[in-house]
Amino acid sequence: MSLTQLMSGANLDGYAQVALVLFLFAFVLILWRVFSPRFRAQYAKDALMPLDDEHPQTPRTPGE
Amino acid sequence: MSEARSVPAESAAAAAARLESFSYDDAIVRKFLFATILWGIVGMLVGVIIAVQMAWPDANLAPYLTFGRLRPLHTNAVIFAFAGNAIFTGVYYSTQRLCKARMYSDGLSAAHFWGWQLIIVAAAITLPLGYTQAKEYAELEWPIDILITVVWVIFAVNFIGTLIRRRERHLYVALWFYLASIITVAILHIFNNLAIPAGAFKSYSIYAGVQDAFMQWWYGHNAVAFFLTTPFLGLMYYFMPKAAEGPIFSYRLSILHFWSLVFMYIWAGPHHLHYTSLPEWATTIGMLFSVMLWAPSWGGMINGLMTLRGAWHKVADDPILKFMVIALTGYGMATFEGPMMSIKTVNALSHYTDWTIAHVHSGALTWNGFLTFAMIYWLAPRLFQTELYSKKLMNTHFWIGTVGVVLYIVAIYSAGVTQGLMWRAFDETGRLQYPDFVETVARLIPMYWVRVVGGTMYLTGVILFAYNILKTWASRPATYVVPVIQAPSLTKVYVPEPLRPDVDVPTTAWGRFVNLTFHRAWERAPVLFSVLTLVAVAVASLFEIIPTFLIKSNVPTIASVKPYSPLELAGRDLYIREGCFNCHSQMIRALRFDTERYGDYSKPGESVYDHPFLFGSRRIGPDLAREGGLKSNLWHLRHFQNPREVNAKSIMPSYEHLLTDDIDFAQIQRRVDAMAMLGVPYGDAIGHAPEMARAQAVLIGTDLAQTGGGPGFETKEVTALIAYLQRLGRDIQVGQGAVSIKSTAPATKGAGGTP
Repeated sequence: MSLTQLMSGANLDGYAQVALVLFLFAFVLILWRVFSPRFRAQYAKDALMPLDDEHPQTPRTPGE
Repeated sequence: MSEARSVPAESAAAAAARLESFSYDDAIVRKFLFATILWGIVGMLVGVIIAVQMAWPDANLAPYLTFGRLRPLHTNAVIFAFAGNAIFTGVYYSTQRLCKARMYSDGLSAAHFWGWQLIIVAAAITLPLGYTQAKEYAELEWPIDILITVVWVIFAVNFIGTLIRRRERHLYVALWFYLASIITVAILHIFNNLAIPAGAFKSYSIYAGVQDAFMQWWYGHNAVAFFLTTPFLGLMYYFMPKAAEGPIFSYRLSILHFWSLVFMYIWAGPHHLHYTSLPEWATTIGMLFSVMLWAPSWGGMINGLMTLRGAWHKVADDPILKFMVIALTGYGMATFEGPMMSIKTVNALSHYTDWTIAHVHSGALTWNGFLTFAMIYWLAPRLFQTELYSKKLMNTHFWIGTVGVVLYIVAIYSAGVTQGLMWRAFDETGRLQYPDFVETVARLIPMYWVRVVGGTMYLTGVILFAYNILKTWASRPATYVVPVIQAPSLTKVYVPEPLRPDVDVPTTAWGRFVNLTFHRAWERAPVLFSVLTLVAVAVASLFEIIPTFLIKSNVPTIASVKPYSPLELAGRDLYIREGCFNCHSQMIRALRFDTERYGDYSKPGESVYDHPFLFGSRRIGPDLAREGGLKSNLWHLRHFQNPREVNAKSIMPSYEHLLTDDIDFAQIQRRVDAMAMLGVPYGDAIGHAPEMARAQAVLIGTDLAQTGGGPGFETKEVTALIAYLQRLGRDIQVGQGAVSIKSTAPATKGAGGTP
């Protein structure tokens, strides 16, 4: 049996829809995380990174 | 993503003890900057030359400097040489500063730079010589493709090595865009260029027909996405705050922008194949994802423009910000128009016309061009440690470039819409109003001249830009000052930041999940981040592409469709060498105005032996899918000798060398054997290809002699090309009335084409 015959007979149509739903779920989680008000301050700090070429902006040492 | 939650706080003294000294490698940035300017001039000069050739066909200088051979040189030069070097300029500058680390290896940086320039020189030599794979933006032949792979891996190792050695915990979003670009371009390049070599600079794609088309436009669209869009977005997210002297309007929106593009872009490629023989479900998916791209693209554009909030007064006075504003506006225009053109009813009008060319240039000249100019104008004083030579000249560049863009795109949008409407116009009797294709070309010539003016203005601006930068460089100090930076190295372990100043990270897995601490972890884990991006891109690609390759009902075969004869295959190779596919499509869409003009619509089973596919993406000449038998051999001979002798309004170049150059019969066997390796059922032609080719050539040569063409053409290249053209679309006609659309492999015996 060739690979083409195998794939044709496997009826995989539904898997694309499953992938789509999984991707959508991951996307919604990211959206939730990124726009949650509790993380606003963190991201505001990260946004400053391009403006300083010499001093790291984000914590580098434990507990810093 | 290892996270230790019980590590004691480090003392300030210990942290100070870990301070490391380093400096940024700006020498490599300067090298890429100069390469950007050099190849920008070359690529855009070739663009102006081919624009002139479209308006004035006598400017074609066969065999090496015809439109068909120069057009891929133009696209490769501006995309991979100009934009490519611009990307590397910005990436090498910004990555070091965002990571607070020197590039991983100076040796790899140098190998990347010189390797990339070698690739560009190889392209500049081989494309005019006619060595091409016939795939848009992937024309370069297999030895150069291998070199590209090696150089890209060098770049990837150098980049990821720098991320690993960085001294910032968080990876700024620009780095995400760079990383996604590096990973995706690698996947695209490898899979689209899989081919069987049939000579030192000749290969055949392992995919055929509609499958090859699908693979190519998955690549082609995503080359635009992940070479001309995402890396430039990374540059925008770094250099826009630099130029505006303030952070990006919404950093959180930039993260959303990133994931949206990574999730959606990879699906959109099939919109390049609407109404073709690609299965409709695939083109519909391509259209839907393209339309969804509207939102993140405009979100990104607005994010960039809003960064100037409170600083708009600076725009009037600062040409760098002017360039950036036009660049972002161009990004917005192009990303509005692209989804619009992906809608099937709009695409029915726009596809194969100059509208696509206008769309590409409205994006490339502004988004890629102007953003590059802005970045380099900003970088030059810092890299050369002196004042910019002339702000006035920079302003002049801005205005001459802007007017050039406007002239270019207004003219070519007009040309595209004009041509599209003329193709579909029917008169009151129900017949095509413009049945002679050349009428629809002749109408465009005035607009092509306006494009020449617009393109020349844009090129003039680039020359002023080069002069300005060179003069700036000339006033550099005798020795560059190399600042030494001090920063502590990253600790191996990491305690997640508190959720809020007074709220620690939850200790339970569920608590961490609902607070999505994993995304914060991704943001500092380059290897994991690479894997996730790879998964997003690969899974989307596989789900879209695999059915067309592995499910038989997607590409039903046709019993009467046979492989090309050895001579026809040689002719097809000449068609590829001369770049005929740059002007002629071989794909009749299932649209009435297409079928009225060219005949029955193209079926997927008709191109199962086409390695590579030659559907084309533009009709400057008519479609040739059913050209076979429409005209005499003598007509074709005269047409190649001087198209305007046969059709006064034709803008096709003369190909007189085809009438004098001999067919390379010795090469034919090797090429037939390569095709046979790909599964093309060549039967008797294996081992006898040159003899079969000579026999068919004698028949055509005799016909040419008897009809007044003259003697001796049985050994000339034009005969092979005529044999190929006379074959196009014939097989399905042979089987008319008994055309059986069946889902089994075609017969494997006795093939070899019919002379």
